[in-house]
Amino acid sequence: MKPDRAWRLIRMSITALVLYALWLVFTASADLFSLLTGAVGSLAVAALTHGQFIAGHEASLRSFAPRPLALAGFLAFLIYSMYASSFAVLAAVITGRISPRVVHFRTRLNSDLARMVIANAITLTPGTITLDLNDDHLTVHWLLATTRHSRAAGDLVKGRFEERLKRVWS
Amino acid sequence: MDTIRTIAALVAFAVAWVFGAVGMVGLYRFPDPYAKMHASSLCGTTAVFSIMVGALALAPSWDVAARLVVIIVFFLVSSPTGGHIVARFAWNSGIDPWKAPAPPRRWLRRPAPGHEDGADG
Repeated sequence: MKPDRAWRLIRMSITALVLYALWLVFTASADLFSLLTGAVGSLAVAALTHGQFIAGHEASLRSFAPRPLALAGFLAFLIYSMYASSFAVLAAVITGRISPRVVHFRTRLNSDLARMVIANAITLTPGTITLDLNDDHLTVHWLLATTRHSRAAGDLVKGRFEERLKRVWS
Repeated sequence: MDTIRTIAALVAFAVAWVFGAVGMVGLYRFPDPYAKMHASSLCGTTAVFSIMVGALALAPSWDVAARLVVIIVFFLVSSPTGGHIVARFAWNSGIDPWKAPAPPRRWLRRPAPGHEDGADG
């Protein structure tokens, strides 16, 4: 079997497994009909969409599969920082004191997925919105800016996300 | 146990209410689309997330709780993606971000009386 073909098969089966796990969680029944419908459905959807779920140019599973413990730690930190910056924006709404600024910086993360996740994490925390993600170059609108120095702004906005994400996707 | 869960859910719903209300106020208070988007992410992200946490505290069984966790994870992916699309469109169509007016430069010359412009817009 050609390596291209094998890689496609691996991607398709991973997509089908993830979809089937989600189906099991959502239906939460061990009914034979439900199990069979889910299997057929997830295989069909995986055959159609595995190219979107895992892009064909991903070199291997190492750039795609997260480390579960590190991922849980990152999610916990994401929720904590979401609430922390929410309270900061809440205070800014009440006092009306804001210093919005557009800052540019680069990320040291290598995989596409990790870059997408860091852009999403920056947008999820109120007070920072990712305007553009171009390769490793992020354009961020920062509501409560304290500096215009590029590297210092990068450390403040994404530094702690980045060091956690480096452990999730090496 | 049930009372603790009800109290936890009520606290989460109260937090959601506060963030939703303040986010709405910020939507009218902030000067430009980008700053308004920060305020709307307050009620679009934090308030919705708090409501889901409250629902998780009230979940009657483990399979409902598992479903809620899956929904929360999907929400954490989809909500910032939608916000990013709006912000990216505003940025690409060339809307200039609002900037706080610069404070008077006192070390050059003393500003004329009545010329003081504060930092809040």
